[in-house]
Amino acid sequence: MAEERLELPQGTLDLLILKALALEPMHGWAVSERLQQVSREALQVTQGSLYPALHRLERRGWVKAQWATSENNRRARYYSLTAAGLKQLAKETAAWRKLAAAVGHVLDMA
Amino acid sequence: MLSDLLYRLRALFRGKEMDAEVDEELRYHLEREAEKYRRSGISGEDAGRRARVALGGRTQVLQQSRDSRGTKFIEDLLQDLRYAVRSFAKTPVLTALIVLSLAIGIGANTAIFSVTSTLLLKPLPYPHPDRLAILWLRSPGIGIPQDWPSPGQYHDIATQNNVFADTALAIGDSFTLTERTKALKVDGIEATSTLLPMLGAKAMLGRIFLPEEDEPGKPQTVVLTYGFWKREFAGDPNIVGRAITLDGKPHTVVGVLSASFRLNHEVIPTVAGIDKPEIFMPPDDGAKNPTNYGSENYNIVARLKPGVTMQQAQADISVIAARLRVEKHRDRSFTISVVPLMEQVVGNVRTAVLILFGAVALVLLIACTNVANLLLSRATARMREIAIRTALGAGRGRMVRQLLTESILLSLMGAVAGLGITELSILIARRMHPGNIPRLDELGIDFRVLGFTFAIAILTGILFGLAPALRASQVELTGNLKAGGKGALSGGLSLRHDRLRGVLVIAELAISLPLLVGAGLLVRSFVRLANVPPGFNPGNVVSMRVGAYGPEFKDATARVQFYQELAERVGHLPGVTGTGAISALPLTSAVGWGGMNVEGCVPPANEPELQVDMRAATPTYFGALQIPLISGRMFAETDTAKMPPVVIIDKKMADRFWPHGDAIGKRVRQGDKSPWMTIVGVVGSVKQYGLDVNSRMVVYFPHTQATFGTMYVVARTTTDPASTTRAMIHAVNTLNPSVPVYDVATMEQRVQDSMARQRFAMTMLGGFAAFAMILAAIGIYGVMSFLVTQGTADIAIRVALGAGRGSILSLVFRQGMRLAMLGIVAGLIGAFGLTRLMNSLLFGVKATDPLTFASITALLLFVALFACLVPAGRAVRVDPMTALRME
Repeated sequence: MAEERLELPQGTLDLLILKALALEPMHGWAVSERLQQVSREALQVTQGSLYPALHRLERRGWVKAQWATSENNRRARYYSLTAAGLKQLAKETAAWRKLAAAVGHVLDMA
Repeated sequence: MLSDLLYRLRALFRGKEMDAEVDEELRYHLEREAEKYRRSGISGEDAGRRARVALGGRTQVLQQSRDSRGTKFIEDLLQDLRYAVRSFAKTPVLTALIVLSLAIGIGANTAIFSVTSTLLLKPLPYPHPDRLAILWLRSPGIGIPQDWPSPGQYHDIATQNNVFADTALAIGDSFTLTERTKALKVDGIEATSTLLPMLGAKAMLGRIFLPEEDEPGKPQTVVLTYGFWKREFAGDPNIVGRAITLDGKPHTVVGVLSASFRLNHEVIPTVAGIDKPEIFMPPDDGAKNPTNYGSENYNIVARLKPGVTMQQAQADISVIAARLRVEKHRDRSFTISVVPLMEQVVGNVRTAVLILFGAVALVLLIACTNVANLLLSRATARMREIAIRTALGAGRGRMVRQLLTESILLSLMGAVAGLGITELSILIARRMHPGNIPRLDELGIDFRVLGFTFAIAILTGILFGLAPALRASQVELTGNLKAGGKGALSGGLSLRHDRLRGVLVIAELAISLPLLVGAGLLVRSFVRLANVPPGFNPGNVVSMRVGAYGPEFKDATARVQFYQELAERVGHLPGVTGTGAISALPLTSAVGWGGMNVEGCVPPANEPELQVDMRAATPTYFGALQIPLISGRMFAETDTAKMPPVVIIDKKMADRFWPHGDAIGKRVRQGDKSPWMTIVGVVGSVKQYGLDVNSRMVVYFPHTQATFGTMYVVARTTTDPASTTRAMIHAVNTLNPSVPVYDVATMEQRVQDSMARQRFAMTMLGGFAAFAMILAAIGIYGVMSFLVTQGTADIAIRVALGAGRGSILSLVFRQGMRLAMLGIVAGLIGAFGLTRLMNSLLFGVKATDPLTFASITALLLFVALFACLVPAGRAVRVDPMTALRME
């Protein structure tokens, strides 16, 4: 099953994280779990690369983080989308749709 | 953007805290992941392992997270800096040497830059200074390079030009302020009401002049400068409306200028040679007469209309000048030139300053080369360290960056120390008080200068650091680790493997040679200049300007009588062997010239009349200054106003008109209608305008027949000049307390002051050249020492095989002298090209003076030999047994 998983194209991880966080604030592990579930295990998200990506988004001001008590009563770092993050998500979603449509179009023509 | 910056800053200063947070975050992740596996039935230990595998290397994640914080560059930099400081602490002497070299190089550059910046870059303290100009008459064809215009010409220019927004006419003069405890000489400018607004002057109290005050018949008014008001009137707030007595006449004070207003002789050189005007007055009667073409004693200042260039202004004024040339029968070379005010102020020192700037830049270049060489030695010693770090995975770029960080840190340290040296140099420059260097009072370290220092520090850091850094990062790993850090590049006693060092030393010599030649040429010029006979004997002569021009001296006989009585009193002072008076003393700013007709000599048509210097002298003046009498007689007591007019001419004029020595008895006169004056004597020519300036023909009048009020009084003394000076001033004060005394100096001081600029240039360039030579000598010494150390084994083998001391010596010297010769040849070529630029600074010496070139070459060769001496001595003392055992 592992060999059927898709490698994430460069830069799409940020988009997926933003999308995941758009639903509700969550901690790193939850983001990783959600991405696996939602993509029906089709996408290969290296867990290790998730955290640097989260921190990069935090630096850009698209997400903000705070420590809170998790569902199992432990201290966890929760990430939530900022207004700027929401805007960025819309922008990147549109760009992705356009790209996917264009690539699809080209492939259909051939 | 801002949040990004804040995040990076937090990351920078609280990196450890953030690391801990990430750590906790990852721990939480691992626990949840392991929990997940456990729930699916995997045993505890296995679940933990699987979780860790899924996450990937924890340290790696931590490192990536750190990188994503955007502080890697600065963190690396901090690490490099810490490392650099540690390595400096390990080699304190070398570090101090490098910092000192850089401090001198950068400090000297900053000092000269602050001069350049103040002089040439900083705008004049007037509104729109680039649109201000001063106008001069020029008649180069008849030996008058520059002359003051007249009110008539001003009127023509003011009414006929199309280029000026405003014009002003001014004349400088000295006035006597009386009805106070002691008479005071006050310098002032009488000008049209346009002058002060043109220069942006504002009244702090009262007002400045009104346009109607330019018309005749208005009450006498005066405006004071801030400094004068503070000093002489103790800042009296009720001064406006009060009258002060100037030259015996009451003048109402109508205003005081603001403190920021500055004006001095550099900006407007007046005919009276006043240094700094302290009062301003409406134009004098002569200025108000538009047909007054005769009195060429005025300054014209103008403001260009916006958008008009200086060239356009010149073209427009040339048309007016051409018309004047025809209408007023001026000579064919007559022009009126429009000189930008900035050019007026700095024009004659620009070349000197730019040459000094070039010279000091060369010194910095040599300092850089030397430091590069020192760093190379250090890099050689550090090869093992660098090899180890490279082996541990440091990339080449990373190594170069670290070494460059070190060199830039060094140059910044040098820059900080250099600023101290700059402060010191500015202090010395002020102390030396080089005459004729304008705007010196504005000199100082400002933001522009600091910016410059910072920029050259970074630049030099890269310049001297790059070559050693690139070289050091090129280590060959195994060789170096095996050689135990001694360096695999050891080429014995030759530079075969170390060309870079050789090239650096050659460059140092090649750069310092033109500097030395330039300094040598200036020294030779200065000696030539100092040996120019001034035409009088300046030893033990005191001189001062005395102003008998007050109301009580209206009558000519009063003036004559005053100076006769003064001569009587001064002549009886203890130690005084001779005294006299003259209207324009040599090497002062006093001038006086005019047209002269020689009997029997008709100037060719279209040529103007002969122009000569004219001075009034008392009978004993020539004897007191020891100006030799060539033929005829001196003036005598009998040459009174009632007697037939007589004159004495100088040798230059006698040679021009009566080359056979028969001038005595011939006659000259001023203009067509004046009486003829008989030449009774010929005296030697004197250097009136400077030792390097050809003087003009002179006609001396007896003071009894040309009764000037302001005279220079001189006295030759056998006692202390200072006490004679005091006694003379006392004599003037007791004779008439309302007569001011000023411009007091010995003739020797005046001679020295006249060479101040040359001395300044010589001292500066000489200092730079000496520094360059020392650096170059250190460079040769450093390389030769390095070679001998590196080639110890080589030498030992040669000695063991029977080589004599002589052959070892010649081996070392051959190496050193080859470098020296190459450097000197390159330097000579450079010097031939560069010294041409300083032609205008030289006097009596050609820019390619063979003697200077030869002696500087010899000097450098000698210095190079000397620098090889110690290393050569060490080479001879190498003990073959010890040296070979060490290997």
